[in-house]
Amino acid sequence: MLSTKDLNIFIETIKDNSSYDFSDYSEKSFARRIDKIMKDYGLNFTQLIRNIKSNSNFIEQIVKDITVNTTELFRDTEVWQAVKYRLLPKLKNNEQINIWHAGCSTGQEIYSLKILLNELGILEKTNIYASDINEDVIEKSNIGIYPLSFNIEYLENFDQVVRKNPYNFDQYLDIPYSKYFKIDKENDSIIMNNFLKKNITYKKHDLVTKTNIFDIQFDIIFCRNVLIYFNTKLQRELFYTFNGCLHRKGFLVLGASESIVNEKEIGYVRHGNFYIKK
Amino acid sequence: MENIKYIVIGGSAGSFQTITSILDILPEDFNFPVFLVLHRLKQVRTGFVEALSIKSKLKILEPIDKERILPQRVYLSPANYHMYIEPGNFIGLSTEEPVNHSRPAIDITLASGAYVFGNQMLAILLSGANRDGAAGMKTAYEAGAFTIVQDPDDCQVNTMTKAAISKISEHRIMTAEDIVKFLLKLDENAKKQYI
Repeated sequence: MLSTKDLNIFIETIKDNSSYDFSDYSEKSFARRIDKIMKDYGLNFTQLIRNIKSNSNFIEQIVKDITVNTTELFRDTEVWQAVKYRLLPKLKNNEQINIWHAGCSTGQEIYSLKILLNELGILEKTNIYASDINEDVIEKSNIGIYPLSFNIEYLENFDQVVRKNPYNFDQYLDIPYSKYFKIDKENDSIIMNNFLKKNITYKKHDLVTKTNIFDIQFDIIFCRNVLIYFNTKLQRELFYTFNGCLHRKGFLVLGASESIVNEKEIGYVRHGNFYIKK
Repeated sequence: MENIKYIVIGGSAGSFQTITSILDILPEDFNFPVFLVLHRLKQVRTGFVEALSIKSKLKILEPIDKERILPQRVYLSPANYHMYIEPGNFIGLSTEEPVNHSRPAIDITLASGAYVFGNQMLAILLSGANRDGAAGMKTAYEAGAFTIVQDPDDCQVNTMTKAAISKISEHRIMTAEDIVKFLLKLDENAKKQYI
């Protein structure tokens, strides 16, 4: 694995040659990403540094490679069940709902949420804002087509979250997949229906800047399995940033294995899987 | 052996029984943090900690991201996450692509452990049906860690242990029973030092 010394050289070189700052990334997972880049491009460390210094397109390319884009439709079904039955009903009477997907990746969580909003009859009054550091994944999110064979669990997850009700075992809603997406076996694709793609504002955004790029207040911020790549200092700063971006009583939804230490100090109350702004 | 302060155990198909026999026999004041990287079905997200805890006296938990590493704890890599050892004595999680078709991947915990713990790590690889762990065990050995591979003849499925041994032959080879004895000896020696 790349040594701490080389890692620091890498970070400084990127900083000197671009607007990106990886100083507060979690060290070992970051080192492994750099290892992978050197392997994939067939470069040793000296060559890697030379390329960064001489080629700004190369920097843009490796920034995309560094960031992790794995995501699923309804990843962690129990969290989405709670979103459906515990969180979203609280916003039912709002005139308008604004939601930010911070680190939206290829968009599966945006579609997961939109499906639930539609089931609850509040899709029309919801505005989705989505950002990622990687413009390629934003484009994929916008297209909304995913390979089928690697993602069979999407359908199982859909059954768990959309059809079944964990709070009422007798209930089973026989909602067809075709209501939300087309399964195209011939082309090995899951294709999201067009009405789900409407009313999403995408922007390229680097969370490290700790800014609210959309300049509005949100009812919910989803930021799941993104902050795990940052160190505790940057994580904490971003919990403050998000707090400032939320309406009072707004929700922050993190990944299943993420949490905020001393959340009260920052201005949150923990409620199961969610953090609510005080 | 006297350097050892941290224990990383990797296991896959056929390792569950060995894991429980280890966890069941370790005393509650076992003063080493233990990291368990076990392959399991992605769908099996809950109940695993409980199953391992039935007879164990140690606190077994699935760490959250950036959880601080403490002695007398067993950290089970959470389903669908890789578990990194990070400098500064804490655990980092990641959802990056599976390695050797596995998430969690034994290789990732071992490679980061090798870097952070070096010769303070004891790395144990148990029964399994794929090749995960082989590269990590080599990295661990080269970083000065104490490495033990379960005897392939003693494994229910020996693909994983054979892969590790074929990568480098310097690992110590032990049966499950001897691994348990070794860990008890380790505990005994550590306690003697404090008397």
